Amino acid sequence: MRQFEYKRAENTRGAVHAHAGQASAYLAGGTTLIDLVKLDIMQPERLVDVNRLDLADIEHSDGGTLKIGAMVRNTTLAYDQTVQTDYSVLSEALLQGASRQLRNRATTGGNVMQRVRCSYFRDGVSPCNKREPGSGCSAIDGHNREVFAVLGTSEHCIAVHPSDMCVAMAAIGATVHLASADSERAVDFLDFHRLPGDTPHIEHDLKDDELITHITLDAPIKGAGSTYIKLRDRSSYQFALASCAAIVALDGDTIREARIALGGVGTKPWRCKQAEAALQGASATDESFKQAAQIAMEGATPYKHNAFKIPLARKAIVRALRDAAERARRSAGEPT
Amino acid sequence: MMDSNDTPVDVRLSLRVNGQMRQLDVPPNVVLLDALRDRLGLTGTKKGCDHGQCGACTVLVNGEAINSCLALAVVHDGDDITTVEGLAGEADLSPLQAAFLEHDAYQCGYCTPGQLMSATELLSNRKVGTTDAEVAEAMSGNICRCGAYKNILSAIQETRQQHAGAAID
Amino acid sequence: MSRSASIIGAAVSRIDGPDKLTGRARYAGDFHPEGMTYAYGVYSTIARGRVVSIDTQAAMRCPGVLDVFHHGNFPSLHRSPASFAEENVVDEKRVPFEDDEVFYAGQFVALVVADSFEHARAAAYQVKVTYDEDTNTVATLAQAMEKRGSTHANDSERGDPEGAYQSAPHQVDATYTTPVETHNPMETHTTVARWIDGKLEVWDSTQGVVFTRNTLSKVFDLDPSRVIVHADFIGSGFGGKLWVWPHCIATAGAARELGRPVQFVLPRQQMFTTSGHRPETSQHVRLAADNDGTLLSIRHENVNSTSHVGTVVEACAGSTEGLYKCDNLRISHATSITDRGTPTAMRAPGAGVGLFALESAMDELAVKLGMDPLELRRKNFTDRDPGADLPYSSNHLLECYDRAAESFGWSRRTPGVGSMRDGDKIIGWGMAACNWDAMRNPCDARVTLHDDGSASVHCASQDIGTGTYTVLAQIASAELDLPLDRIDIKLGDSTFPHGPISGGSWATASLLPAVAEAARAAIDKIKEYAGKAGSPLADADPNDFVYEKGMVKDGHGKAVSIADILKPQQLASATGEAHTGGAPDSGYSFGSFGTHFVEITWEPAIAQLKVTRVVSAIDAGQIINQKSARNQVEGAIVMGMSSALFEATEYDERNARPVNNNYAEYLVPVNADMPQLDVILLDHPDYELNEFGARGIGEIGLTGMQAAVANAVYHATGKRVRDLPVMLDKLMDETE
Repeated sequence: MRQFEYKRAENTRGAVHAHAGQASAYLAGGTTLIDLVKLDIMQPERLVDVNRLDLADIEHSDGGTLKIGAMVRNTTLAYDQTVQTDYSVLSEALLQGASRQLRNRATTGGNVMQRVRCSYFRDGVSPCNKREPGSGCSAIDGHNREVFAVLGTSEHCIAVHPSDMCVAMAAIGATVHLASADSERAVDFLDFHRLPGDTPHIEHDLKDDELITHITLDAPIKGAGSTYIKLRDRSSYQFALASCAAIVALDGDTIREARIALGGVGTKPWRCKQAEAALQGASATDESFKQAAQIAMEGATPYKHNAFKIPLARKAIVRALRDAAERARRSAGEPT
Repeated sequence: MMDSNDTPVDVRLSLRVNGQMRQLDVPPNVVLLDALRDRLGLTGTKKGCDHGQCGACTVLVNGEAINSCLALAVVHDGDDITTVEGLAGEADLSPLQAAFLEHDAYQCGYCTPGQLMSATELLSNRKVGTTDAEVAEAMSGNICRCGAYKNILSAIQETRQQHAGAAID
Repeated sequence: MSRSASIIGAAVSRIDGPDKLTGRARYAGDFHPEGMTYAYGVYSTIARGRVVSIDTQAAMRCPGVLDVFHHGNFPSLHRSPASFAEENVVDEKRVPFEDDEVFYAGQFVALVVADSFEHARAAAYQVKVTYDEDTNTVATLAQAMEKRGSTHANDSERGDPEGAYQSAPHQVDATYTTPVETHNPMETHTTVARWIDGKLEVWDSTQGVVFTRNTLSKVFDLDPSRVIVHADFIGSGFGGKLWVWPHCIATAGAARELGRPVQFVLPRQQMFTTSGHRPETSQHVRLAADNDGTLLSIRHENVNSTSHVGTVVEACAGSTEGLYKCDNLRISHATSITDRGTPTAMRAPGAGVGLFALESAMDELAVKLGMDPLELRRKNFTDRDPGADLPYSSNHLLECYDRAAESFGWSRRTPGVGSMRDGDKIIGWGMAACNWDAMRNPCDARVTLHDDGSASVHCASQDIGTGTYTVLAQIASAELDLPLDRIDIKLGDSTFPHGPISGGSWATASLLPAVAEAARAAIDKIKEYAGKAGSPLADADPNDFVYEKGMVKDGHGKAVSIADILKPQQLASATGEAHTGGAPDSGYSFGSFGTHFVEITWEPAIAQLKVTRVVSAIDAGQIINQKSARNQVEGAIVMGMSSALFEATEYDERNARPVNNNYAEYLVPVNADMPQLDVILLDHPDYELNEFGARGIGEIGLTGMQAAVANAVYHATGKRVRDLPVMLDKLMDETE
């Protein structure tokens, strides 16, 4: 690791101040940052340690929303009573991410800021538009099986956003709260991450003088069932080949509302609104789910080694919708 | 802070390691793993991948299992660290260590300190389920290339059964 | 002989266990000699070409940097003769920094040494290397065979395989491929080197301290007595640490230049480049059989990838010659050069991937014949090695089949593809034979009886995690009639009596006889002292002396302790030494045999494949330690499953750079992948090989596993995967 200066921030204002205006990086759980600094892929001159900021609470907020501090660890969030009850899709997604040790350190804000796993990005040598804008994308014609996308790709970058947590949040609906030294703003979660387009080095809507302070989850959909299905080669400790967060609310056997978001296949946490629209008012059958899966993957672009992700993602969608609907049925059947 | 050569100066920090207060001065880019091994002489904790991909470096920080290879030492100023050297009593192995011995829950032994620390946390963790499948999943952040997983699982489960309700750590 | 037999075969806990469980066990990187410095490498980013320039100015200005070594300033060294007989094998023949040429991505081009690990790594990133790159690289075996062709290595033939094949009623003709696999022991290669008075002392993560000593003595032109190699504990090796690799030489060279100890820990990424791997193979198998399943012809012809800086032949057909009775056979091996690092032996080299091909082909033949795959194997069983034309010393493969099949419930298998189900999951049952040579190598040992009633055993060989410390203690305990806790085993030091590398599953079979003989020599010595003047037994008839539980008795039952015998001689100990030889030339062929029965589930709706159950029966001679032996076999099965399902080092086809060179993307099983695992150890002593009847056990469990898995996958899905690993995308329907 290169040398860097270390600053421990005592409050949000101090953190933002220390971060702005030079090659700095916020240090939260460090599970992405230290990894990439060791590889010399990220070369911050200053690390601003935000671990002691007072941003580690989970609290109910206006209109039934849930406010999650940026420093809430993944483990804490996954086992939070409210999250387990009202947002089980999020709890499941978190617990299928990484390993217990990593979840114990990884934070909510840091998870949103996770970098891609593309080996060409990580090798420090291959042309990579994310690492060195304009140098080209080595993955498009290279080895592109595991952590490469079929949705939201461009000729400049095809790397998957690797988070599981973000996929669940994309399905739930969330808001990212950002603070600068003298102002605050809120960004819709679905707008926070950027598509690579022709600027893959710009990954998100966080300005140099801002810090993520909270994420607010939309109020849970009443009576809905939800789940997270993650498909991969080995049983654990692997990034998704394809994953699906699904939330289904029923009126009898008719779908009142459905949410679908995908991981492992998109260059950002991938919400499938058209597929959701097709499900609204449809009957909760495998046929409807298959049709939704078909719609969700329309326009997907296969690459040399990852074409299988298109049918694989469809399978994840169908299974997740089926399981979520089953849970909705069960909870409807339960005495309240 | 930088000195005149643009070299970040060492940071002084205190760690409570296996119950003992230890003070050290480290550059900010030293991770906890290397601080323990190279600067505190605690070589029981092992480096397997240096990138959070194998679990060999697992230690407990304030009771939680973490990958010490991805943790800057300076971040943990004031924290309570437990390493494999801190598990056994004066004369006896901990119940978990004894179960590892009895179940032959290792071969080369290199991942063992990490497995033990991970399992130590797990045994006191009331949130993770206790079925074989749940424990195997919870232990999946610790790779054992020798493939002694079956024995690792049985050692943990036996420790849990024999010491149900009692403090394991 | 006073051997107390009960401890042999017992389930003894490892004597080194407490050290491993408390962090006291010291691996190479745990030794920090006074004044130690830290090295970090700079590795070639191109696979083929030349280094044009190395700019070290920025690196040299970095804090704590002591020096940066490269081909322009590194001392000139000698290549090792790479001889097995001289015990100085290297697979990468080139010494590091020999010249400006680059043969593979990840080759050392510079080594930075600094006063701390952090300083060394930070400075290594500041070394600027420019290359003259040859962009016409060869990244894969397929590319190599197309661009460079192959070089014949060896072949063997009996009968008329072609004619018998042509005239047979049933044929199988298939090509199987296996990818590069990387050993990836948990401990990366590590060397700590220091020079004192022209002597080189090395703490190394090696499977062979003697080979490492001999190799370094050649490279640095030193008498072997001036090189000392220690390996108290090794974070395993799986073949990757059998021989010296460039990092070890570079570290020792840097330590000499600097006059300070240097520690070098190979980063995980470089475990994929500059320290060996299992080569990629392409295996063409042709089988022919009669209507009743009798094999009429076997051909197994192979090509494997190798490098520019060392030719390694993967003996894929090593087991093919002798596993089945068949009069017409041809095997051959060839190599083809890729622009990658040099391959080397990886756990069960040869048969490890060879039996994937042969045992998959046997399954394909069974399907063609409409015959139960187990019956097909029973039908062609041979208790005589047709390759060597000798009887096997001990071959209980048929019993393995019976017991594993019974335990697995094989008789309940329905043969139809996809015919067994569990809800949404399709169940597949497959089986395969496994096989490994039983070898034995010359070994020396020293056993010392001390006047405090304890004993110590010295042998240079090392315990790489297989349980060598413990089985030697068991043998010494049995021979010396002393409790285990009175026996101290000293291994892993090149100054100890000569011992072989820990590889080939021969450590147990080689070391046990040497230790036993040395123990008996020590007993003879103490008896000799007992008869000497001044001894309490001086007047007794030495022919009546009996050794028992650390005492010598005379014919009248008078027992005297070792201390009381030694004291009058003014000695503190009595020592016995032994030299035992290799496998006896007794007219037998030696091998271990076994079988795997595997259950997989395939859930097509979500494309998830799992190995759910494995029952294996292994005939490896007398089991010395039920605990560590079972663990060894289980671990090998896990690695075989890993090879079947996950492992493949991928290279970019455009530039031959490895792309998944880390532990997140190079997949090996985690705890959650574990199937239900049941290992049956047959425990039939093979006294032709050694007096304990023990054969090795470390490798056989891996062989055949990939085929058993692939055969089960075929049974479930109807998809015959001939290219490892069996990943889910290979099982998905294209129409989905």
